[in-house]
Amino acid sequence: MDTTDKKTASAPNEERFQVTRLTLLTDLWMGRIIRVGGVGVVLAVVGMLLFLVFQVFPLFVGAKVSPLAPVPMAASAQAFGEDEYGEMPFVVEANGRIRFHRVKDGALVREWVPEAELPAVASVRSYPRDGLVVLGLADGSVREVKVTYRADFSQQGQRSLDPQVVAAPPVPVGKAGLPCVEAWSVKSAAGRLLLCRQQEAGRDRLTALRLTERKGLGGKAKITVGTPFAVAADVPDLERVLVPSTADSVVVVRKDGEVRIYAENGEAIEFLQSFRPFEGSADRRVSAAGFIFGNVSVVLANGAGVEEVWSLYPQKQPDGRSLRRWGKIHDAEALPGAGQGIYPAVGNKCYLTVAGGRMQVRNMTTGSIRWDGVAPESPVRQVAFARNYDRFSVLCADGSLRRWEVEDHHPESSFNAFFGKIWYEGAEGPAYTWQSSSGADEFEAKYSLVPLFYGTVKGTIYALLFALPIALLAAVYVSQFLRPEWRKVVKPTMEIMASLPSVVLGFLAGLWLAPLVDASLLKLICVIAVLAPAALCAGFLWSQLPQPVRRRVGPGWEFVWLMPFLLLAGWAAWSAAPWIESTFFTVKDLASGQNVSDFREWWRQTSGLSYDSRNSLVVGFVMGFAVIPLVFTIAEDALSNVPTSLVSGSLACGASRWQTVWRVVVPTAISGIVSAIMIGFGRAIGETMIVVMATGNTPVMEANPFNGMRTLSANIAVELPEAATGHTHFRALFLGACCLFFLTFVINTLAEVLRQRLRERYKVV
Amino acid sequence: MPATMNPTTSRIQVRPATEKEGRKDYISIRDFNFYYGAKKALESISLDVPERRVVAFIGPSGCGKSTLLRNLNRMNDLVDGIRHEGDITINGRSIYDPGLEVISLRRRVGMVFQKSNPFPKSIYENVVYALRVMGVRDRAILDEACETSLRKAALWDEVKDRLQDSALGLSGGQMQRLCIARAIANRPEILLMDEPCSALDPIATGKIEELIHELKEQFTIVIVTHSMQQAARVSDRTAFFYLGKLIEYDTTEKIFMNPSQAQTEAYISGRFG
Repeated sequence: MDTTDKKTASAPNEERFQVTRLTLLTDLWMGRIIRVGGVGVVLAVVGMLLFLVFQVFPLFVGAKVSPLAPVPMAASAQAFGEDEYGEMPFVVEANGRIRFHRVKDGALVREWVPEAELPAVASVRSYPRDGLVVLGLADGSVREVKVTYRADFSQQGQRSLDPQVVAAPPVPVGKAGLPCVEAWSVKSAAGRLLLCRQQEAGRDRLTALRLTERKGLGGKAKITVGTPFAVAADVPDLERVLVPSTADSVVVVRKDGEVRIYAENGEAIEFLQSFRPFEGSADRRVSAAGFIFGNVSVVLANGAGVEEVWSLYPQKQPDGRSLRRWGKIHDAEALPGAGQGIYPAVGNKCYLTVAGGRMQVRNMTTGSIRWDGVAPESPVRQVAFARNYDRFSVLCADGSLRRWEVEDHHPESSFNAFFGKIWYEGAEGPAYTWQSSSGADEFEAKYSLVPLFYGTVKGTIYALLFALPIALLAAVYVSQFLRPEWRKVVKPTMEIMASLPSVVLGFLAGLWLAPLVDASLLKLICVIAVLAPAALCAGFLWSQLPQPVRRRVGPGWEFVWLMPFLLLAGWAAWSAAPWIESTFFTVKDLASGQNVSDFREWWRQTSGLSYDSRNSLVVGFVMGFAVIPLVFTIAEDALSNVPTSLVSGSLACGASRWQTVWRVVVPTAISGIVSAIMIGFGRAIGETMIVVMATGNTPVMEANPFNGMRTLSANIAVELPEAATGHTHFRALFLGACCLFFLTFVINTLAEVLRQRLRERYKVV
Repeated sequence: MPATMNPTTSRIQVRPATEKEGRKDYISIRDFNFYYGAKKALESISLDVPERRVVAFIGPSGCGKSTLLRNLNRMNDLVDGIRHEGDITINGRSIYDPGLEVISLRRRVGMVFQKSNPFPKSIYENVVYALRVMGVRDRAILDEACETSLRKAALWDEVKDRLQDSALGLSGGQMQRLCIARAIANRPEILLMDEPCSALDPIATGKIEELIHELKEQFTIVIVTHSMQQAARVSDRTAFFYLGKLIEYDTTEKIFMNPSQAQTEAYISGRFG
């Protein structure tokens, strides 16, 4: 302040121009709060996205495999086994001696030697997961040796393992006097199956025998030894024999590469089928083979590095029947060299394949290579995966037991598994399947998101097909044609509709509308079909009326003329529907053999598609009902905000009201209308409760309007409560959420770009 | 020369009536009363507009001049609760004739609004809009009408190279001339102008006034204006309204030089308004 101000006494109070501190502070703080709010919203969205990505990311990470310290064993070790935690593996030497070593210090803990008075051991086999060792003896008999571990806890809480070996008496299986080259013992539904391979005069012979166990009343099991029978007696030159742990079949590979399948048929094991893999490859001989967990598929490799998966699945026979037969379901990625061994994991469809100096953990179903590492220089004798797929051990010919730790939480996941067509075991062909759980352990969860995408899009399209025409036409009508006093009633009513919780709509859809639609389907279709033509007809007749008559009806009251037409047409269609049904839709009922007039049955038989009472039509109606108010309100606002000067300008040019609406009002409001459509779209695509309650939640991929669907959001709602945290299923659901996020993000962005362009183009001065 | 004109600033002068005078009562308003709900906006108006002449409606705000103008093409029909008594005839036929489609009336009576209201379309589409809604599809006819109208509206040279550009990129004066071009594209007989220059600068105003003079050769023009100088410059006859009543209606020369009513005189000389 300078002196001149003080002189002007007429301006007494300089302070009246001052802004109060409170105003300034409020301004400052409100500005800050608003900024914090804005940044908070952005952070929340980014945080959600990050959370989703964080949940989903592990699905696309391969296996992490790191070597553990090897355990030196005797060089003559032929097979091995281990306890659940891999603390105390044992090896079986060629002479049948079993030696237990402690992993910690390599110390020999226990040794078991076959009784000297029994015939010498000719072959050994170990089933590490069952704790079973099978010894093939020199006289053609087979002996089972059971290995168990007893865990003891000392006073200090120290855990110590005490291995126990219980050997059963030998069972004569093969031809007496001939040594067993190989021996198997597997458990089937019909009892335990012992199998031995012998060689006689240059030809191979396989002999099997069943042990059936019957529990007596006293609890003591009584074991009945069956009579030996020959298996694959027609194959003189067998190269390798695969016996699945279920014993329902025996796979015999001949030296020339022919694979012959013998399947259990009652007591006997009979020839089922033969095939030759590696078609088109230079080497058609099988160099490595192995059953995959579940015993339905075998992986075969040849010397040229070709790897194929053959599996048992229903195939159409020439006589029209569908029978389960073997066929190739996958061509695995080429091996780095000649296939040397295929060793399945337990509990999932992964396997270790050894070829050309490399070891790879592969997933049979998705074909993904989970891990690729260097194989031991020494030939591999046996590989065993831990039960929970966190470790595998390799017994090498030099007697060392090498061990690897596996960290692979989602072996069944890959990009292909979620988005590609996958041929699952037992399926008739590659398909997009979502089937996340079942009763059996061998079951492979199927996580294709494609049917869910399909369901989402299908539900959205049906809802929008129903909602958009109604909502947009209603918005045009209410904003441009309806009398203002009516408009004041209609608009708030529609807005109240928007506030209905979707669970209420879903409840109504599932329990009230669906049975109603089911009962009078054709009537409804007829009514819907006639409404639009009736309206057009009413409009045409109106235009034919002489002008003086039309003048009597004030602007905005034309609907009085329309109503009787709609009611009459609707009533006529409703009444005519039974006649139409009996005239055009009469079919022979397959159950009773009588003619019935039923559109639903006609649809089933004529289109070959299914008909469900909880179908897309119902969802379309009800989700449309949820979408209509949103689209209507926003579109109506946009249309009402078109300046009257434009409407006047158009009318003054001699345009009719409809021409004005169509050529001026709608283009001017188009960006708002696009917004309305997008908001409706967003609502429909993310809608959960209505879909959960009214669709049946079947993840099928059919455009059929008369069956259900499962949407991404409904899928999450239905399955998340039962998904184990961190499990592939859990993460797959989050992947679905991620996709939904991505889908809406892309579509909203596109819509926003379109909207901005339209706004630029049709902006009003 | 009207006293209110300054010859050095205006190139437009009141022109005496020409020989080729048409029908004297081309638009004829008889005992016309008009109500917005209960409010009486116009009270027993009677006046005749001769063919191919410019008639200016002047008067203070709210005097009813725009209301009367908007009745001539029944633009007021859209307003709720309106009512009229009396009659308006154009070329002898009542515009309220029940057999007359309001759309055909508006094709005969074009209108230019106070605020330019080009549609958010290209310049070309704006001009041919009236033809499009009449159902003209022939490109040659549309092109021809577009050029003729734009030439008449003295806009052709400025926009001929960017006919497909948005009309919203034009300047205020150009937009108003575009609206005039749009109004005359389907060759109406009457052109109503509701304060067409109120939002324009003097140069644009001058151009539009020049245009009115040229359009007079073909159209009967009724213009509402707040600017008495403009009324004096462009019109042949002037009607002075006050509080819904027609106070005086005579040749422009007479109204400005020698009004018979004291109110007219007071308004023109700027004592109220």
